[in-house]
Amino acid sequence: MAKKYEFDYDLIVIGSGAGGSAAATIAAKQGKRVAIVESGTFGGESPNWSDIPLKSLLHAANLYDEARHGSRFGLRSSTLGYNYPSIRAWKDLAVKRTGAGGNRKYYENQGIDTYSGLAHFLTPNEVSVNRRHLSANYFLIASGARWVVPEIPGLDTVKYLTPHTILEAIRPPKSLLIIGGGETAVEIAQLMAIFGTKVYIVEQASHILPGLDSEVSDLMGRVLSEQKGITIMAHSKVVSVERDGLIKRVIVTHAGTEKSIRVDEVLVAIGREPQVDFGLDNAGIKYNTGGIKVNSHLQTNVRHIYAAGEVLGKNSHTHTALMESQIAANNMFEKTKASPDYSCLTEVIFTYPGIATVGLSEYDCIKRDLAINKAMAPLSIIARSNTSDFRDGFVKIITDKKGVILGGTVVAPHAAEIIHELSIAVKHGLSAYQIAETPHAFLSWSEAIKVAASKLV
Amino acid sequence: MTLAVDVIKSGGRRQPEKFQREKLHASIVAACLSVRAPEGQAEAIAHAVCDSVIAWLENHPEVTSQDIRIITTKHLKVHHPEAAYLYEQNRITI
Repeated sequence: MAKKYEFDYDLIVIGSGAGGSAAATIAAKQGKRVAIVESGTFGGESPNWSDIPLKSLLHAANLYDEARHGSRFGLRSSTLGYNYPSIRAWKDLAVKRTGAGGNRKYYENQGIDTYSGLAHFLTPNEVSVNRRHLSANYFLIASGARWVVPEIPGLDTVKYLTPHTILEAIRPPKSLLIIGGGETAVEIAQLMAIFGTKVYIVEQASHILPGLDSEVSDLMGRVLSEQKGITIMAHSKVVSVERDGLIKRVIVTHAGTEKSIRVDEVLVAIGREPQVDFGLDNAGIKYNTGGIKVNSHLQTNVRHIYAAGEVLGKNSHTHTALMESQIAANNMFEKTKASPDYSCLTEVIFTYPGIATVGLSEYDCIKRDLAINKAMAPLSIIARSNTSDFRDGFVKIITDKKGVILGGTVVAPHAAEIIHELSIAVKHGLSAYQIAETPHAFLSWSEAIKVAASKLV
Repeated sequence: MTLAVDVIKSGGRRQPEKFQREKLHASIVAACLSVRAPEGQAEAIAHAVCDSVIAWLENHPEVTSQDIRIITTKHLKVHHPEAAYLYEQNRITI
């Protein structure tokens, strides 16, 4: 009989964020011996540095902004103000209340051993954490990603901000130049602009939010520039940054001409890259700078090592990482293997109006050479836009030639809630007719979905 | 200079040893000289690459000799691709 090797743990999870914590908890509940290794703050990116803190700040900012513009409803808001340290205290409270944020005990209470430090594979079954060797039958790599710092001359000589550090700022800067125009950049731009910061966005692509359909970026570009005073510089590139006394001077090129912009702070938010510096070669795991390679069961080329979350190199959100983590745990310890279904995952941007997408975008359909029908319903044609005096937004639905919904985009207040109707439609192959014939409550924003679906029947 | 980094030797049969900059430096110089780089350039490249490897090692208290080879090759490739190729292929150089 073959010798069965004994290991310290049944499962070692590298990374305590959304990609790791779900699998660790599931395995611990099944009675497995589980350890979790975290090199940063326990809880990972979402509760500590991105989703929770940023969205709690955005909630306060949007309340302030709505109240400030309430005079058209007869509200007196001329004396309205804010206290930024108190807003930060609210953000810290929101982070603390998640339970997982920065809280090692959260995992230990579930019977999971915790190790603080950088895990480094020595062999396929062994990692070193602060010189301590830990072995396991299974590994889950959920080390996440980090913000990329571009090679811009002079950037390393100035103290620049990242999407992590800007949330810890004592007060909003007077002026801010954001390198990058992706979703986090746009959220932070709107947040800071509401608190009075003069914001510049420099984006290399032809428009901000380059991954989304052009209608979304056109509308958001207009909302940000006209209503929030943000200067958007698309098709532009930062060529150098230098200190100029207490402020920073940024040289930006656009269509062959150079422009100098003097700002208080520079924020680098061009994108994220997977963290793969874990001695993966020692374990024989296939990877590249784009992430770790896995099969449809989230298994790497080394059979007992799985990976989930941003380390896979996809544009992963917290809910995606959670789903992958649960599936990885299932595939390690259950006989029936599962695969993640990415077809109906929503992507949400918490600006105002909010942006939410699901399924295929129009650009995705063009790339796949799919024959489609599409319809758009501007918010201005539904009754709610009248009672709320808000018209900047739309619902766009894409179907195949048989009328089955392939994808959709919502730009509206509460877009993150509205989109789930389309998620269910995409997941279960519903047609535009089925959505259109379903009654939608009068004076809800969701009426726009019914209107868009009706146009496709 | 000896950094407080343990290097686990390939195969796992030999005892781990402390990282030695001089040993790494000599191996890079040897790789550069093998592809006919001038001696001064070999020394300068070795100096720069050793600095980069040591910066990486600051967060890694325990690594394998394979890790050092991979990281060294990555940084050496920037300065001298041919020497990096030789370094990557010739396992006896470190």
